[in-house]
Formats: sequence, structure tokens, C-alpha cells
Amino acid sequence: MGGSLARYDATLPVLDGKTLALVGVAGILIAAAVAVRILPAPRVISAEEVKQEGPRIVEPMQLLGRGAALRAAELDEWIAEERRPIFRAARGQVFSIRGCPEAVAWLDGVEGQRVERLLGELRHGTREEALAALALVFQLARSTEWDPGVLASIPEANAARLAGLAGDWLRAWGERGARDPLLAEPARAAALLYGRLMYTAQHSRVIGTNTAAYERGLKTLSELVGLDSGRRTALGESLQSRHPEAMRKLVLDSDRLRGFDAEARTAFPDLDGECGG
Amino acid sequence: MSNGPERSASTGILLGAILIGLGGLLLGLQVDSNGAWCGTGLAPLAIGAFLALAAIAARVSTTSGRLPRNAMGIVAVVAGFFGLAFVISGALAPGGPWMFLEVLLLVLVVTLRKPDSRTGRWIASSAFGLLSIFLLFRLWISYQGSLLRWQVLSVDVPVLSWMPFDFLDPVKRVALGSFTPFEMGFPPAGLEFAASATLWALGFALCTAGLVLVQASAIEHENDRVHALIRTLPGPVADVVERLLPEEEWREQGLHGLPERQLARRIEALVSERMRRQESLRRALDTTKQIGLSGGSGFAGEIQRAITDESQRETPQ
Repeated sequence: MGGSLARYDATLPVLDGKTLALVGVAGILIAAAVAVRILPAPRVISAEEVKQEGPRIVEPMQLLGRGAALRAAELDEWIAEERRPIFRAARGQVFSIRGCPEAVAWLDGVEGQRVERLLGELRHGTREEALAALALVFQLARSTEWDPGVLASIPEANAARLAGLAGDWLRAWGERGARDPLLAEPARAAALLYGRLMYTAQHSRVIGTNTAAYERGLKTLSELVGLDSGRRTALGESLQSRHPEAMRKLVLDSDRLRGFDAEARTAFPDLDGECGG
Repeated sequence: MSNGPERSASTGILLGAILIGLGGLLLGLQVDSNGAWCGTGLAPLAIGAFLALAAIAARVSTTSGRLPRNAMGIVAVVAGFFGLAFVISGALAPGGPWMFLEVLLLVLVVTLRKPDSRTGRWIASSAFGLLSIFLLFRLWISYQGSLLRWQVLSVDVPVLSWMPFDFLDPVKRVALGSFTPFEMGFPPAGLEFAASATLWALGFALCTAGLVLVQASAIEHENDRVHALIRTLPGPVADVVERLLPEEEWREQGLHGLPERQLARRIEALVSERMRRQESLRRALDTTKQIGLSGGSGFAGEIQRAITDESQRETPQ
């Protein structure tokens, strides 16, 4: 038997160089398959975390907040020279609105129309001008009435009109703004304001809801955050990272604008549609 | 013995191992919404490795603890283990209650189900079917998650959902099987579904193909070992031994995985037993010849005719 086994051993092939090389390749691939699993996911760096060089507008959210009037004059120097006088005048008018007029009534007036034209121009300007435009929109929302009363003939009109201004700004700057260190946070704020205004328009009726306002608001926000395309936009990513509950409700809730409304109420409690009163 | 069959088995094992490595590589990656690559994490692999180990342990216990006896056999076992671990980890939901439910089902199917000793596979076809279903489920929930829908399904409640009352909205739909991005192991930027699903489906297919190839080649490799030992005998004797012990019976007769000396003893014992059986049969046939066979019809006649024909074939002309 011993002789047979010795001959048997001789019949078995040894691992030659080529076989060993293939074993090595397989081993490396398997080791790599284990190693790649610990490859870390890249952190999402929001645009506002990027350090900016040179002169810039610091703390841009202050220009959208309750104390915006204290810093609004700083915006003048960032506006193109040819528009600066008009902007200075419009800023003065918007920040001096008193008596809480209805948003539609004020915007349809002489001053309102001038401001509306200026907003259109600023939206097509620089990023600083875009911020200035948004500051005016926020101030309009703060100093005019858009929360409908029981007796309003077209209860959704005021909120829908202001939402139109915020929506126009978002269409022009939402996506670009989400990637911009200066406008990232204001862009999110604009989306929340838009959602809040459209939610108000949707629920403006005493009986039932305004389906058209709901559908319009939903459609706009879905496009802006990328729900329609199946791939989130930069603004969608930004909102997802900072306002996940609002985004979750936008996708899943039966009343999908409710999340934006709730987040806006928390972030801007003075934007109540009644001039803080 | 020519080197042909042995080379073929080795090539199969190596090719299978390379497929498993490639498949595992794809199953270990995912793409986030910004197009960046990242890993799928070690937790699913740990679960897969645990279940693969359990499956292999179950197999070893049913084969009286037989082990690979040479380098290529060891390569086959190692590649098979990783193949099974990658396939399981790639098919399972990445985390949360869904993963543990799937693990429970797999434990029932993979480890409690006795492996089929005839095929020698480590994992039954039914388990592969179950893993394929799990992969589809994983792709589905990943798709839902990539659209920020953190639930398996959302179902309208009959009657309530038809009513045009807004205050009923909260109860009009029922979310089934909710999960979170954390459970899914999604990257912070979210999952790019199309690219990730392609990686996982391709990786699963490669791993499965590699695993099947390694298993089949490992069996062939063991047969080659037995064949090589038998062929150390003089040619005519080896032919007789291979007629007495056909290759198809080697696995069932427990020849796979035996060390050389035990293998030789086992073949000796089987040859001895089969020769005794042949001798006994020959004596019985001789007895029937001495008794003489009477013709007949029906069952008895057919049996007698079969014995006569066989006897004539056995008698040298």
C-alpha cells in the first residue's frame, strides 16, 4: 500500500506558478470585496459651510429675519449702480409699510408695482442682488396681511400672490442658491416660506380646502426638490439635511405641504400673515 | 491518469473564486446621490458570514466531518465560504427588523434543512430561490428609500379613502413596513438607486455563478482524487475496481474528503464487499442452473428468462 500511495502522491498536480497566481488574484479580489465595505460615505458639506474669501454679506439670514430693518441698508452697496437708486427707494417703501395692508392691495398699488418690477430685475442679477430681492419678499410677508379672514371674498389671493413672488425667486435661485455659500440658507428659508404661504392659501376657505392652491404648491415644491424626476436636486438635498420632517411629509403625508408650514412657523414665528399682531 | 480532468476541476475552482471575488466587490459598493462611491458596511457581511459558517457546519456534520485534503480543496472551501457570505449579505435587507426576519427565514431554510448528500451542494436550490426573493425585496425597499418613501407599501383604506372629507386624511392610508435611512445603511447624501441596484444585481449574479461553479468543481476535484488513487493500480485491476465502484457512487459511499490512507482502506473494503456480493450471486446462479429452469409465462416466466439470459452472458463462449 505504501508504494501505491507514493505513486498516488506523484499523480496529484502541484500548484504551479500560474495556478498560484490565479489563487492570488482570487484572494486579492475577495480581500478587496471585504475592504470596500468600510469605504466611508462622503459627508454632505452644505454650501454655507464653505469658507468665502473677500468682502461678503455676513449672516445673510439676519436680512430675512425680524431684525432685517437694522441691516437692510447694507444691501445697497451690493446692488448694481444703475439699479441702486430704485432699490434704495423700494427698500425704504417696503420697510416702512405700516397698518398691515392686504398683500394684494399693496402690491397692486404704485409702490407695490414698482417693487414687483424691481424684484424681477434683481432675480436676474448677482447673488447679492438675489439676496436683496429675497429680503424684500420676506419683509413684504412680514408687513402685509395674507392670513385670510372669514369675510374675505377671495381668501387665498393674498397668500397666493406672495407665494408667487417666493416661487419666482426659488425658480431662479433655488437650485443655484442651494450650492452657494451665501444663498444656501436663504434658499431653504424661501422654500419654507413658499410652502407656508401655499399651505395658507390651500386652507384659506372656511369650508373645505383650495385644491388648486394645494396642487400648484405641491407641483412647484416637487419640481424644486426633485421629487418629479426621481433624483433630488441640490435644494432637495439641502432641505433633506436640515428639514427632514418637512421633506418626509412632502413625500408621504396626506397633506403634503403641512411639513413646510410647520417648519416655517418654527423658523419665522413673526410671519403669521397678520403682521405679527 | 491524464492531467486533463484534474486541471479542469482546478480551473473551475479558480474561476469560481475569481467570480466570487468580483461579485463580492460589486455587492460591497453603493453609489450616493452625488455620484460618490462608498461601502455597504460590515454588518450585513458579518450576518452573511455567520450564516455561511452555519451552512458549512451543517454540511460537515452530515458528511462525518470530512475536510478538504489538499490546497485546491482548501481554496474551494474558502471561496465557497466567502461566496455564500457575499450572496447572503447582498440579498439581505441592510439592517433593522426586516434583516432579522430574513435571517430567521434563512436560518430555517439554510441550516435546519438537511443538505442533499447526492448533490453535495452547501446550499439547496430552494435557499437560492429564497435569497433571490430577498434581493428583489432589498431592491424594492432601496428604491422606495431613494424616493424618500420610508415604507414597503402604502395602502388605501377601503371606504375611508373614498370619502371626500379632509379630516379623514390621516386614516385614509396605511403605511406597511416602515423603515429608516439608518436601517438601510444609506449614505448621507441618499442613494443613487439605478447605479447601486445594477451593482448589487450584477454582484449577486456573479457570486451565485461563482458559488455554483466552485461547488461543482470541488465535487469533480474530489472525484479526481479518488480516480487518481484507483489509477495507481495496474490498468486491468483499476478497470475492474472502477466497474465495481462506479464514479457516480463515490460521494454516496463516503469517499470524498477522506485522507489518503482511509480512502485506500475504504476502497479496499468496498471492493471486497462487492466482490463477495458478486461471488454470492454467481453461486446463486449456478444453483438455478443445477435445478434447471422450466418455461412459463407471466411474472415467473419473465424472471426465469431474465436469469437465463444473464447466465448465458456471464458464461464464456
